[in-house]
Amino acid sequence: MSDSAWIDRLREILGPTKVLTSIEDRIAYSYDGTFAQQLPDVAVLPESTEEVAAVVRIAAEYRVPVVPRGMASGLAAASVPFSGGIALSLTRMNRILELDEVNRTVRVEAGVITADLQAYVEARDLFYPPDPSSNKHSTIGGNIACNAGGPRCLKYGVTGDYVMGLTVVLPDGRILQTGGKAIKNVVGYDLTSLFIGSEGTLGVITEALLKLIARPRSVRTALAEFPSLDDASRTVNSVLAAGIVPATLELMDETAIACIEAAMHLGLPLDVEAMLIIETDGSDDEAVRREMEVVERVCRENGARKVMVAQDEKERAQLWRARRSVSPSLARKAPNKLGEDITVPRSAIPEAIRRIKEISARHGLPIVIFGHAGDGNLHPNILFDKRDPAQWEKVEVMAGEIFGVALDLGGTLSGEHGVGVLKRPYMERAMGPVSIDIQRCIKEALDPLNIMNPGKVLP
Amino acid sequence: MTTGPQSILSEDDYLRCIRCGQCLAVCPTYRLTLNETDSPRARVALLRAVREGLLERPTDWTAAQFFRCLLCGVCTFTCPSGVTVDRVLELTRGEMAHLGLLPQPLAALNQRIRESHNISAEPPESRLFWAQNLPGMPTGVGKRQAEVVYFVGCVGALFPRSYSIPQSFVQILEGAGVDYAVLGAEEWCCGYPLAINGDLEAARAAMRHNLEAIRATGARTLVTTCPSCFHFWKHSYPAALEEDLGFEVRHATEFLADLLESGRVSLRDDLPQQIVTYHDPCDLGRKSGVFEAPRRILRAIPGVTLVEMAENQGGSHCCGGGGNLESMDPALSQAVAARRIRQATETGAQVVVSACQQCERTLFNAARAERLRLRVKDIAEIVLEAMRR
Repeated sequence: MSDSAWIDRLREILGPTKVLTSIEDRIAYSYDGTFAQQLPDVAVLPESTEEVAAVVRIAAEYRVPVVPRGMASGLAAASVPFSGGIALSLTRMNRILELDEVNRTVRVEAGVITADLQAYVEARDLFYPPDPSSNKHSTIGGNIACNAGGPRCLKYGVTGDYVMGLTVVLPDGRILQTGGKAIKNVVGYDLTSLFIGSEGTLGVITEALLKLIARPRSVRTALAEFPSLDDASRTVNSVLAAGIVPATLELMDETAIACIEAAMHLGLPLDVEAMLIIETDGSDDEAVRREMEVVERVCRENGARKVMVAQDEKERAQLWRARRSVSPSLARKAPNKLGEDITVPRSAIPEAIRRIKEISARHGLPIVIFGHAGDGNLHPNILFDKRDPAQWEKVEVMAGEIFGVALDLGGTLSGEHGVGVLKRPYMERAMGPVSIDIQRCIKEALDPLNIMNPGKVLP
Repeated sequence: MTTGPQSILSEDDYLRCIRCGQCLAVCPTYRLTLNETDSPRARVALLRAVREGLLERPTDWTAAQFFRCLLCGVCTFTCPSGVTVDRVLELTRGEMAHLGLLPQPLAALNQRIRESHNISAEPPESRLFWAQNLPGMPTGVGKRQAEVVYFVGCVGALFPRSYSIPQSFVQILEGAGVDYAVLGAEEWCCGYPLAINGDLEAARAAMRHNLEAIRATGARTLVTTCPSCFHFWKHSYPAALEEDLGFEVRHATEFLADLLESGRVSLRDDLPQQIVTYHDPCDLGRKSGVFEAPRRILRAIPGVTLVEMAENQGGSHCCGGGGNLESMDPALSQAVAARRIRQATETGAQVVVSACQQCERTLFNAARAERLRLRVKDIAEIVLEAMRR
């Protein structure tokens, strides 16, 4: 590969140290957080928007695929370079460019790690709420490209709700600026939104202008144990019906609990069917405390066996560390997992959970259920061993059935992971032919050469 | 680290990695280069590629990737699916060595140890040079029978820069009236560098020699100031030799904490106020679980206010001196050290204390390179300064 003319051109422009062609490097850039893998021809590590643009221009000239990536923690194989080409890593573009405390915005490069940004603004009493479980090992650029969610979305909204403007390198190498610091802006099409969740198929996001809010001064977190999964899922709606919007309302089923306990030894109960993690926050300590009292009462009325409120920051951090570790800790149960990300209207959560459990029982493979129950976003994870072809066949059928459940109940395929390649086959069913046709037109208008993360998102 | 005969790399060791990426957030080398190739996830993927044939013929360059790691184990500590990355990489290094792909500086190191029984090819009698410029010859020198053997380790014994660690430690032992011996020329390299660089046979020979030498003293306790010797003695000796050692293995911090708490060592009360932070050596803290003893010692010193770095105990950040990275990529090793020393300054501490000659040296050099007004000391040094004599 190293003798290709286009790779020589990349070296000329970026210098040799930012262009990686060894087999060892290509292996390192061949995967994301799924089991998918494909070698790129080259990995590049640009350090500015101009360098990204130069890479993309060469790619366009030579018709080479460009696959942008942050820290590759994605769960839909969106950053796996299935067509080879250039794995374009934004990780070295990790500067915080401007904090505007008056307008409450921050301008960052795409490779800033989300948790680093959060620590930076929180030290100044500001708050960037979107909190994907991967916030310590994912980047703002990746979060925007996949419109990442997280537990706090129930109250605060998803990544896209905080993006006020973007710098994007288009597939022909031009640099597009969208949005700005003005809160109201209705001039022209909303191109910022177009790139949010586009998974690198329309261009490379290199900078973002993000909205910040005041940091909530008070937070309370509770862990409620439910002997019955059904009771736990009903509790979600009862809490919300009581007029409370918790910051987060997370559900974990018994297998999820067992996996975390095996990984972290926190003393979690192994004899309950489900737990809810519920957090209330706000500027007024007294109001937050009262809300938590209501949450506790509602949980008990709905069959909670025990409700434990974290007494200090350490206990709270431990609860969240547990929750963030659910997905990876499942590896202790089975060599592979397929983590889905369906959403349903929240009234349908109990029914969705019943149907998913039924799918698991019928096919004889375990499905672990956890997720952001408060906003109707569930992560059913099918556990299996990919080395057994019979199991893999079942998994594909089961995934289709899980998507069927979501769509039948008025929901959709993905709440926060995105489509990548793993959900492509179900796109048409989820969105209908007209929507798909329009999306294809947009893709073709922006990327007529189909070099920008080809083969992703659209069927 | 378990370098027993049973420690063979299995498929499960790397299939457990689900590539979630959590290790990237904590890995000192990845955090500096921001290049996936320098991440634990990539190292495991590379190993898997070699095993599964995606990478058919590993080269020197392939092997180099496994040696660009500090073996600090913070990835293992963080991994939610239970991949023991540092152990897996130690075994992989061994496999690379068997394929003839051991990087030259490490092959040379193995050679030196095999021939001279120490890491710097010194004559055996040099192992006692550190004892010569003390006020009097330490009582432990030349003693044949003792309750306690102090295993000095190659760096403390042979690197003049680190002499003050064994010097301080034996002065404390003398002051406390401990019946101890040092092995001098009879002490060999503990075998750890050989084991992680693919020469298990030579490592076992070294282990056998040291074990017999200590048994000959009738000691009931072996104490080391070097965390790597400590970890290797405590975990790998019994596993590799498949027998009970017959004596207790303790690190100097555990031993000193007992001396203080039993009143055998007492401290002055006219000591100045100082803010101190403690750096957990990887082999002592994360890998051996000794977190509290050094902190108990520091808190017991009058005038000391102990503050913690953001990354401490199990999640501690390596000093840069781990895994022989220094001989593979000195600039990267120094950059790791620089990041750690900056974490120490962020605490507002005036002194950073460690309990490892390697951490002490790398952090000292980093403080100097970064032009920081921060003193770096080994725990034996700060205890000796505070001791009533």
